[in-house]
Amino acid sequence: MARVTYIEHDGTSHTVEVAAGESVMRGALEHDVPGIIAECGGGLACATCHCYVDEAWADRAGTPTSQDERDMLEMTASQVRPTSRLSCQIEVTEALDGLVVHLPEAQY
Amino acid sequence: MKYDPTNPVPPQVIRRVGMDQVPDHVPPGLIRQSGLVFGPEFLADPYEFFPALHEKYPPVYYDVGPFGNAWQLIKHEDALFALRHAEYFSTEDATPFPRDPEDYFNFIPIEFDPPDHRKYRNIVDPFVSPKAIQGWEDRIRTLANELIDDVIDKGGCEFDEAFGRPLPVLVFLDLMGLPRNMCDTFVEWAVALLHSNDRAIMGQTMALITEYIQGAIAEKEAQPLSEGLISQIVHAEIDGRPISPKEKFGFVVFLFIAGLDTVFATLNNIWLWLARNPDRRAEIIADPANIDHQVEELLRAFSVTFSGRTVAQDVTVRGVAMKKGDKVTSILPACNYDPDVFPNPREVDFHRPKKIILAFTVGVHSCMGAHLARMEVKIALQEWLRRIPDFEVKPGAQIVYRPGGVIGPEHLPLVW
Repeated sequence: MARVTYIEHDGTSHTVEVAAGESVMRGALEHDVPGIIAECGGGLACATCHCYVDEAWADRAGTPTSQDERDMLEMTASQVRPTSRLSCQIEVTEALDGLVVHLPEAQY
Repeated sequence: MKYDPTNPVPPQVIRRVGMDQVPDHVPPGLIRQSGLVFGPEFLADPYEFFPALHEKYPPVYYDVGPFGNAWQLIKHEDALFALRHAEYFSTEDATPFPRDPEDYFNFIPIEFDPPDHRKYRNIVDPFVSPKAIQGWEDRIRTLANELIDDVIDKGGCEFDEAFGRPLPVLVFLDLMGLPRNMCDTFVEWAVALLHSNDRAIMGQTMALITEYIQGAIAEKEAQPLSEGLISQIVHAEIDGRPISPKEKFGFVVFLFIAGLDTVFATLNNIWLWLARNPDRRAEIIADPANIDHQVEELLRAFSVTFSGRTVAQDVTVRGVAMKKGDKVTSILPACNYDPDVFPNPREVDFHRPKKIILAFTVGVHSCMGAHLARMEVKIALQEWLRRIPDFEVKPGAQIVYRPGGVIGPEHLPLVW
């Protein structure tokens, strides 16, 4: 288990427990956190689970893991920033306990 | 009053069929009779019909036909908007299977919008996620090879019967937690329900399916929770209460309808194209590292179905005013040939820049079986082309498409 904090565009914060091995995207959907749509369900096919990893966590959460993720990040509705990731591609581990991600204004 | 999903009631709907039922707000210049999915042009070659729509038709038009009048969307951007905005485009009354108004049920999850929708999807999503589906890879590969074993020495086969149908149906039975010996029966039901075009046969078949599903639900209820989707559904809780009988049935029956025919039709379409394009087969075989993009591009070029909605409040799309109660259909295979998004759309190009394809729709109701479908197509391509790299359509065979909501050649006889 790891605690993940999702901060919506308007500043609303949600801290939830996410099982190790789950994605940051699934953690949001299972806990009704608004702001992550994830219409393709984690298939690197939609760009609607975009998040900005908090600067303090950027090194640990890592950079995009595939060319598909980089391609899809070019299709996001909101601005891409240096710590932009698709949250379906961030796997929760114990090392990410306390992770903070910021959610964009819009996913589409 | 909030809708009670445990006690479903039929929606009030407006049905319009034929030229005398075109509402006044439809500009006469936008009325078309496209013949989708039954006209001679469509049936001659659906995958030429779809790209040609962009050359011959306005981007939004009002289609009048014997199966019902509806706005049709063929632009990628417009379909994305419609599928992502339930406040304008509702899934109410959008699934074209008749139900008894006296014993009504909702198709779940498609007929519920967020946030209720998510509660149902959370029951099944962990079993159909990309990671969960990876766990099915070996089993699907074994199955594909068993089916190929049965025909490889025969020099030919009816592809649809020998491979296209049984592969997805057997995987579906495993996923649902149903016995594999039901395969032939399920195939018969699927054919009768989806391809008979005879309402009496469809009704009888629906009754048989209903009886079977009710039995399967009762059986899973009596047993402890297990991995199959039916067991997960019947033992689920919604908002802290046990899922109700109507919800269980509507969920299982929807998976049944959605799961049986779409991959079948997709495989038939792809194998017809492979049979006719030996150089493209060779290209796939020569570039195994690109398999995921090959699958995605083939899904773009050979999407098989449509997505219907009902206008929930007046809305304007590309300057066209739509009124509450109008029907709207996103013509997904046409959207995948939109030249603004996929330049030179008729060309199957395994090196296209990655874009959102509409094979599985988009929005919250995006296909829950998409990752399974991708895996099935991928393994089918890999194993078939490894073992039967050269094949063609049986000389003299007629390739025939039948009208229906899922597009693919009815029979595909191959020789090698």
